[in-house]
Amino acid sequence: MVQIELINISKSFRNFRAIDNISLEIKDREYFIILGPTGAGKTTLLKIIAGLLKPNAGKVLFDGKDVTDQTSEERNLGFMFENYALFPHMNIVENISYSGRVHASDRAQTQALVDQVLMMTLLTGRNDAVPEELSGGMKQRVALCRALLNLEQTKLLILDEPLKALDAGLRMNLGRELLLMAKSKQLKLTVIHVTNDEEEAMMAADRIAIMDNGKLIQVGTPHEIYYHPRNLFVANFMSEINYFEGTCIKSTKPPWDIYKSSKQGDKFYAKIHEESIPMPVNIGFDEIFAAYVKKEYFNDINHGDKVLLVVRANHIKIRLGNRVKDKKNAILGKIIRRKFMGVFYRFEVLIKVNKQEKIIIITVPATSEVHKTFLENLEVTIYFPKELGIVFKYPGKDVIKEVLKLE
Amino acid sequence: MLQKKEVGKIPSIELVDVTKTFNEGNVIAVDSISLQIDEGDYVFLLGPTGCGKTTTLRMIAGLEKPTKGRVLIDGKDIEAIPPEDRDMGFIFQHFEIFDHLTVWENVTFGLEMRGYSDNYIIREAEKALKTVGLLDYADEYPNIFGNPGLQKLGIARAIATGAKILIMDEPLGSLDPKVSSVFRHELRNLIKDLGLTAIHVTHNQEEAMSIADKIIIMRSGKILQMGTPYELYENPNSIFVANFLGETNFLQGFVLKLLENDQMNIWIRLGGPKIICNNFNNRFNLDDNIVISFRFEDVYLFPLNYDFENSPFDWSKIQTFKVILEAARFIGATKRFYLILDNGDSFVSLKPGNFEENFIIREEIIAGINLDDIHVFKTPENLFNELSLT
Repeated sequence: MVQIELINISKSFRNFRAIDNISLEIKDREYFIILGPTGAGKTTLLKIIAGLLKPNAGKVLFDGKDVTDQTSEERNLGFMFENYALFPHMNIVENISYSGRVHASDRAQTQALVDQVLMMTLLTGRNDAVPEELSGGMKQRVALCRALLNLEQTKLLILDEPLKALDAGLRMNLGRELLLMAKSKQLKLTVIHVTNDEEEAMMAADRIAIMDNGKLIQVGTPHEIYYHPRNLFVANFMSEINYFEGTCIKSTKPPWDIYKSSKQGDKFYAKIHEESIPMPVNIGFDEIFAAYVKKEYFNDINHGDKVLLVVRANHIKIRLGNRVKDKKNAILGKIIRRKFMGVFYRFEVLIKVNKQEKIIIITVPATSEVHKTFLENLEVTIYFPKELGIVFKYPGKDVIKEVLKLE
Repeated sequence: MLQKKEVGKIPSIELVDVTKTFNEGNVIAVDSISLQIDEGDYVFLLGPTGCGKTTTLRMIAGLEKPTKGRVLIDGKDIEAIPPEDRDMGFIFQHFEIFDHLTVWENVTFGLEMRGYSDNYIIREAEKALKTVGLLDYADEYPNIFGNPGLQKLGIARAIATGAKILIMDEPLGSLDPKVSSVFRHELRNLIKDLGLTAIHVTHNQEEAMSIADKIIIMRSGKILQMGTPYELYENPNSIFVANFLGETNFLQGFVLKLLENDQMNIWIRLGGPKIICNNFNNRFNLDDNIVISFRFEDVYLFPLNYDFENSPFDWSKIQTFKVILEAARFIGATKRFYLILDNGDSFVSLKPGNFEENFIIREEIIAGINLDDIHVFKTPENLFNELSLT
């Protein structure tokens, strides 16, 4: 059993605050992902948990015991860091079976395990290759194999960008294998995995911690993070979004029955109704729009306050022609660009709001219907169910610019 | 939105039977390839490391001479023309921006070297910086930019010299994945609005699918397939291409029976289900070992008690079989369902993130595939090699 608790951890390098007062708990046998952009402090936090760095302030507890002053060896964990650290003179099998497993009493079992991880990481048949003959992606997989094979001795696996150098398909496959392995009844693993790829995070995580600038922004299940992001940064990090500036209208009589679920009896919508509250907003069209605000923020936003309405690109629906009158949260627009991307089509739709032109991004599953129907220059109606619109208190122009700017 | 830049003739590029060997012919980097890039097209050279894509790009740019064959621009052989006179702009992964020069000086430097008049330089540099949205930063030093900003500056520098062809070698390679996934659309829009002919080398298939007008897939110095992203995605001509672009399930089996209408009955190995597939041109014979491929998103899912007979949809082309649901993952825009057949083979179904279901993990459900969505390939000698991406 390994349960980890971080209490008020801070870490600075000279004047740079890498970790800013982070507290969090990682449960026993949890697959926990730390997600954030480059430079967010993820790896620093991971090294503090692993005992490779000492925090300036705060405590690290393993199973309730203070291990802040313990070395990495004393903490008994398996880890894989970004720079692989393979032994150049050893072949793949020697590299991966060097640590931990070498002393296993049952040779046949060791061999079976080695074979299994080689198969899992698509390295079968390369047993005799030495590191310099391998591509970056292969080295990474060897390092991963080694971390996986070390699991006999430890119940905590720490992975720093384990899938980074891999192609998309392989990355998703391995992500899933990692998850299945971590969840296997025999291993009883707690896994902490750092990544900057949101799909990889959603793929494997029980819970995700999102970091930015050394701070912990939000911790939650993939579902919570995706549908109830705490702020614009989290919303934007998880997928492509659109945003509208508007004002909150908390009049006693909402313009349409915004309190009724868009789909009665639907589990998914019911869940959103549980955690968030509907709010009418004026975003510059004749009609009043409605979207949901997290319960904890509802009282912070008063009638007439400036708000930001965020809708994910894949939550906006698109229909041919002008059907604004038939739909709620609907806007008339024109497709100016479309691009086939494989699973999805991506549309850029030009709309007018407050006499200004604005481009809305929409992604739609790429069926043959979509391929034939939605062509460039066609007039379309775009709309979204109110449950999938997210309202934030207006964070200010600077924050919006900062979050949505490119790096 | 940008105004379309007034351009003269936008060039086309043609490679005729081009071969490039290194090391006195011992290493064949590019193996007699022919290709045509139409004017104004944004084309990708895509393939794993060592496939010959960068060498091909360098030959088009004039940085390498073909060992054999010809490179034509607008139908004219350009072998005698040095790279700097080829009317091309270059963008590389590591930007090659001068840190000690301002944004403005970075753009005007190349123009000054070419000896243009001051008026011309000011006009063209202003136009180029405005196009990429950096005119406000003209007097700043490039260190204020993140990587996308630097790459935009690189583009401004390339187009200021009047280049009509943009040569890009992994231009998004240094970007954070999140940043890259947004910037790639901006890059495409910019280049399309400028009406440039662009060639972009990458090993990243998502990047290619998101941006390209056309993709040329290379492997071991040869062209495997070329076409629009849609053509390649819907009709891959090999296991490698099917696997390389998008996410694809592969199952092995053999031909059990040849049917009428160019169809055949195949049996998934070790007692898996029997499936009908199309067999155009009768490429396959009885007992052939085959591999079928179908996209993750082409797998339908139903509860065990689904009432097909009274369903409003036409299921006549959908073949169904029982599977065990091993795991399900919510990935935001999509949901993934991991499925296992009776024989232990596994495959994946991809659904939109809001797909409604009440499936229970480790219980049976029904999976369905439209026979038109199945591609059939002969089993290669080493399937493992074909599925390896490196």
